[in-house]
Amino acid sequence: MGATQRSRRWLVPVAAVAVVAGVGTLGPVVADASPKLPGISAQELLAKVQTAKVDGLSGTVQSSADLGLPALPGVAGGSDSPSGAVTELLSGKHTARVAFAAPDKARVSVLDTMAERVWTMDGKSAWAYDSAEREAVKLNLPAHQPGKPAAGTPKSYDPQSVAKQFLDAIDPSTKVDVSGTEKVAGRDAYKLRLIPRADQTTVGSVTLAVDSKTWVPLQVTVLPRTGKDPAVQVGFSQVSFDVPAASTFAFTPPKGVKVTEPKTPTTRPDRPAKPIDPKAVPGKPNLKAGNEPTVIGEGWSAVVLVRGAELTGANGPLDQLLAGAQQVQGSWGKGKIVTSKMVNVLLTDDGRVFAGLVTPQTLQDAAAKAPR
Amino acid sequence: MSPSSAVAEPVAPAARPGRYPLALFRSELQLVFGRARTWVLLAVLAGVPLLIGIAIKLSGSEGGGEGFIGQVAGNGLFLIVASLGLSLPFFLPTAVTVIAGESLAGESSLGTLRNLLTAPAGRSRLLAAKMVALIVFCLAATLTIWLSGLIVGFALFPVGDVLLLSGTTIPLGEGLLRALGIAVVIALSLLGLAGIGLFVSSLTSTPLAAMAATFGTFIVLGILTAIPQIDVIHPWLLMFRWTSFADLLRDPPYWGAIGKNLLLQAGYLTVFYAAAWARITSRDIV
Repeated sequence: MGATQRSRRWLVPVAAVAVVAGVGTLGPVVADASPKLPGISAQELLAKVQTAKVDGLSGTVQSSADLGLPALPGVAGGSDSPSGAVTELLSGKHTARVAFAAPDKARVSVLDTMAERVWTMDGKSAWAYDSAEREAVKLNLPAHQPGKPAAGTPKSYDPQSVAKQFLDAIDPSTKVDVSGTEKVAGRDAYKLRLIPRADQTTVGSVTLAVDSKTWVPLQVTVLPRTGKDPAVQVGFSQVSFDVPAASTFAFTPPKGVKVTEPKTPTTRPDRPAKPIDPKAVPGKPNLKAGNEPTVIGEGWSAVVLVRGAELTGANGPLDQLLAGAQQVQGSWGKGKIVTSKMVNVLLTDDGRVFAGLVTPQTLQDAAAKAPR
Repeated sequence: MSPSSAVAEPVAPAARPGRYPLALFRSELQLVFGRARTWVLLAVLAGVPLLIGIAIKLSGSEGGGEGFIGQVAGNGLFLIVASLGLSLPFFLPTAVTVIAGESLAGESSLGTLRNLLTAPAGRSRLLAAKMVALIVFCLAATLTIWLSGLIVGFALFPVGDVLLLSGTTIPLGEGLLRALGIAVVIALSLLGLAGIGLFVSSLTSTPLAAMAATFGTFIVLGILTAIPQIDVIHPWLLMFRWTSFADLLRDPPYWGAIGKNLLLQAGYLTVFYAAAWARITSRDIV
């Protein structure tokens, strides 16, 4: 065997690297290739979406949020403290199992690392279970209110409700078109794209992948104005439109699990629903009671104003963020501005907080207009 | 090795049976499991559940803690899961590194590789036999913990129906089966590292260097996994999905992450096994 012939054997591992890397990177792309579907106008598609009705569904939802906040080592885990929960929301990748049969029969379980958080309601009672703490919270659902979603259920894990929120907000401020097709969870889907007309916002576009058979939105993607990577993506990775069995929604508190039963149905304060609504602002820390947030402006350029928010304290990562924040001033006074790919926050020295999915300049304009 | 041994010698008769693949595999297994150090490693791994079990028993906590450790006092079966989970980041990789680093470099250092490479067994088949022995060792390692956890857990703590992560309960028998599944999944999770170890071992004739280099690679990959700024490459790192074994304790089990983990391990194994093959078949016999 000659030396050249022998050294040629090294081509085998090189080819193996190429194959493994190719399968790893191209595999998902090929699987998501655009399917061929008959053409449809945005209006038709919108109508179909709004009338879409399924008797039940179950599946796995993947969500990822990358709002472009700096990654801080050491604060990635721990959703117990408020700051941990905020960090988790802002840079989180989550997998959840969802099942739905009726407005008062739903189950969401978030699959955490070596733990699981479950919210379920079977029509009579609602349960929240945390496997890490081995604690369950039980709520008795009020009767004759089937339309009202149960407290504590993070509805935003359900792409259907997320999409509805966006559709309700559609007005002349938004350009809507059908931007193509794609495969989501193995199903052929149309892409309905919403592009804000206002240039004050940081939102580039919001795309719904709408199933071509049931007209249920399967995926929501929010793209920032700059950059190609989605800021928020919530969608099914696997879905079935069979009505789940009633036992899916039942919860029997296991032995050894502490059960608490609050008197009145309240939302669990430590588990905020994932804000995907353009007006909602994640990460408002330590709000004092009585400081109701005010919304300035409307549509995409809406800015939320909160007064008297307490911004210092044992909030490690937040302090770190603020330390690097840019100092700005204007007719409205002085303050610090925290910028990211999507969310921008202006904190004035007199304790007002302006936040929104808008450009930093829009925040300052809002501050100038806002009453003190 | 002395320079004189580099001179081509007349082909020695096969030191070990090589004509039949099964015989070669059997002799490899005998080699790995005939060594005292293999048994010392397995004994250390068997000691993990014992150590955890005694610590929890002595501290007398009544299931107050979080996670699997906190459940041990209430149900001895979770000692198996907790021990496997705690051994995964350090003890198991160390054991695999030692055995993998030894596999080819050990033969080299003893001069027995020369005999093996000239034997009719063929170099490819020899490598396959080494790999199979490594896979068997990985399984033996996790099953040792499973068995030891079972004995210690049942001896020290009450056992009963198993509480899954999803909040549902399954009978003890099914719980044991799922714990066995976890042991197998963890053993398979170690195969990527075993592949790296086999390749590094083919590069050198010093077993200790092979072990150190493999473990160094493991540490570097671990550090990279912990840096959030490079999360783009995280899905490609060896141990990124190692914790997915816990998905077997959901109701129903969630296979998505486990499948991705096993695919990743298969990818690492393919690449490094191919590299080891290229090295061993193109290598000059010295």
